Amino acid sequence: MAIRSETYASLGRTPRRPFVLSEWVDRGPVFSWLMMAPPILFIAAMVGYPFCYGIYLSLQDRPVAKPGTFIGLANFIKEAHDPVFWQVVANTFIYTAVATVLKMIGGLCLALAMNQHFKFKNIIRALLLLPFIVPTVLSTVAWMWILDPAFSVFNWFLIALGWPKPGPSWLGNPYLAMASIIVINTWRGLPFYGITLLAGLQTVPVELYEAATIDGASSWHRFRYVTLPLIQPIVLIVTLFSVIFTFADFQLVYVLTHGGPQNATNLFATYAFDIGMGGGQLGLGAAVALAMLPALALLIVAITIYLRKKA
Amino acid sequence: MSRASRRDFIKIAVAGAAGAALARPALAAGKPITLLHESSFIKTFDEYMQKTLIPAYAKETGVQVTYEVTSVGSLPTRATTVAETGSGADITMNITLMPFLFADKYADVGDIAEEAGKAQGGWYDAGKEGVFVDGKWKGVPFANIGQLMNWRTDYFKEIGVTKFPDTWEELYEVGKKLKAKDHPFGFELGHGFGDNHGWLYPLLWSYGGAEVQPDGKTVSIDSSETAKAIDFARKFFKDCCLEDCLGWTDVSNNKAWMADQISCTNNAESILWFAKRDFPEIAKVTEQSMNPQGPKGRFHLLNAVSHSVYDFSPAKEEARAFLKWMTAEKQLGGWYASADSYYQPLLHGYDNHPMWDVEPRNKPYRDALGSAHLPGWPAPASRHLAESVAKYVVVDMFAKACSGTATKDVIKTAEGQLKEIYKSAA
Repeated sequence: MAIRSETYASLGRTPRRPFVLSEWVDRGPVFSWLMMAPPILFIAAMVGYPFCYGIYLSLQDRPVAKPGTFIGLANFIKEAHDPVFWQVVANTFIYTAVATVLKMIGGLCLALAMNQHFKFKNIIRALLLLPFIVPTVLSTVAWMWILDPAFSVFNWFLIALGWPKPGPSWLGNPYLAMASIIVINTWRGLPFYGITLLAGLQTVPVELYEAATIDGASSWHRFRYVTLPLIQPIVLIVTLFSVIFTFADFQLVYVLTHGGPQNATNLFATYAFDIGMGGGQLGLGAAVALAMLPALALLIVAITIYLRKKA
Repeated sequence: MSRASRRDFIKIAVAGAAGAALARPALAAGKPITLLHESSFIKTFDEYMQKTLIPAYAKETGVQVTYEVTSVGSLPTRATTVAETGSGADITMNITLMPFLFADKYADVGDIAEEAGKAQGGWYDAGKEGVFVDGKWKGVPFANIGQLMNWRTDYFKEIGVTKFPDTWEELYEVGKKLKAKDHPFGFELGHGFGDNHGWLYPLLWSYGGAEVQPDGKTVSIDSSETAKAIDFARKFFKDCCLEDCLGWTDVSNNKAWMADQISCTNNAESILWFAKRDFPEIAKVTEQSMNPQGPKGRFHLLNAVSHSVYDFSPAKEEARAFLKWMTAEKQLGGWYASADSYYQPLLHGYDNHPMWDVEPRNKPYRDALGSAHLPGWPAPASRHLAESVAKYVVVDMFAKACSGTATKDVIKTAEGQLKEIYKSAA
């Protein structure tokens, strides 16, 4: 018995090959994990940890420089009783929705125009990126002057047309202030839309347009039935990015109005910052910041599902 | 190497090490420290610390001091990082409510503050109000950055006014006439850091209003006194001010002043300082006065500046020693003077200091120290107050009324917000 089992044992054993690191690395699963590990670690450290810490903070009564006390959802309940919080919610949705639509329409027009052949096309394409490239704080300061009634080019123009002096108060009137930040955000985000959609437009095969033209399609029909369906996935991706950036916008509002007048331009990010940093209520500030998560998450999931269906 | 030469080598090495130790007292003197400060509007102020005080201290004691300067408005953010991580600075400058937010991380510096008070004429009450937390000096008071009335003598003269009005009502009458002559007033009602609170809290107090009672718990904003202050603010805004004030931040009134757009505002001394530097013609016709009084008195806002030592600092003793040295008359007087009087000393010993003669138009800032209080007064400052200020509860109460909302409605909204904020204090 002993001899037999020894025989079987020796039969089952294959000669072991020496471990070679380069071969191990070359194995598919190993290589892919090795490639993915740095970004995963980076995201875990820079996004995952702060995110989890944010959730942890939002469940605490945590004044700055003091130990926190677990209070469950009390911060969120406190928010729900705060009229300014609901104003901030409404502001953020209006700001994001209007600015995104304007950027989408404007960006598409821009891309279609840039897709034509004309002189100095490349230089103009590069110049169009300027609002996107200039640091937000810097361009916002320029807008601060543009919207100051004493120096505003708009007011100068309106007064020349007979508007009573000193003209509209762009940042003093709550509605005009919201309109102003939407316009500035659109101005700043338009090139991102324009250039990305232009890249999409250039992937549309010319043959499709030729075939449509032969079939008697007008330019509107070519756009509606050829261009639009083909660039739709790119429009969705750009919209996804744009919604996230606009929803969490901070710099523009912080520099230009700081949420005023009377919170008419206060957004999630600026309100959360004021409560967390200005008021030293880290828990409540984190709760305000986290309140934007469900809406954003829903939107991202919806767009992702739509894209998968399309694919 | 022979034995003799080896012995010589040891002798030289020992002598060298001893010499080096004697020549570098810094190593023995103490750990280097970092002083965190907000960049000053007055450049010479920061330069005086960097080029005069720090080298002098290094020469005297061998301790190296690093002067870390944050941009204007970002000191609370930086201080939060230092307090939360327990590293980054040993001493910090405080502005307004910081000692109350960070008190747990600050060392008691009562000995330094009391000694400085005794030696230099005693502290103004406002000095203690800005740093005294739960019976302890959590900082050494330094100064107030006062917010007062800045007005154009030439435009006021056009309507026969040569002395600044004594009451809010008198100021209103002047403002009405000046707006009719296209010289409106400009008082911030937006979300700035200081120029809004700078006149709105004193206005509220001068009519007898208070957001919270002295117990720091009972919300008392809903009162006839508050209503009177709001009604005044509404007509003052409508008949005297630019509409744009509703959206102003702190830079706006300075810009409007230099652009010859307004005839009166509420600001720190910096407005005259910058006018003298960049717009001398406007500086010539700029005058500064204490706030007008209301039925219940005359008040000013305390934008307290102080210095605290971090309790967790590994160089706490060195930091305390430096703060003590910095607060001694020899150093303090020079530092105050380097900024003219932008930082108004909270020690009576400086009431007649020559710094006030450099620009006599700044003297009202000194005279206002006796009636200056932190936002939220008469309640003691607290984390609840910091939240109320960060949410612009009082500012927006006035601003909404100026936009046309009824007095009772704006008070109701503010009361609701304050009750929610102060709930955990009760």
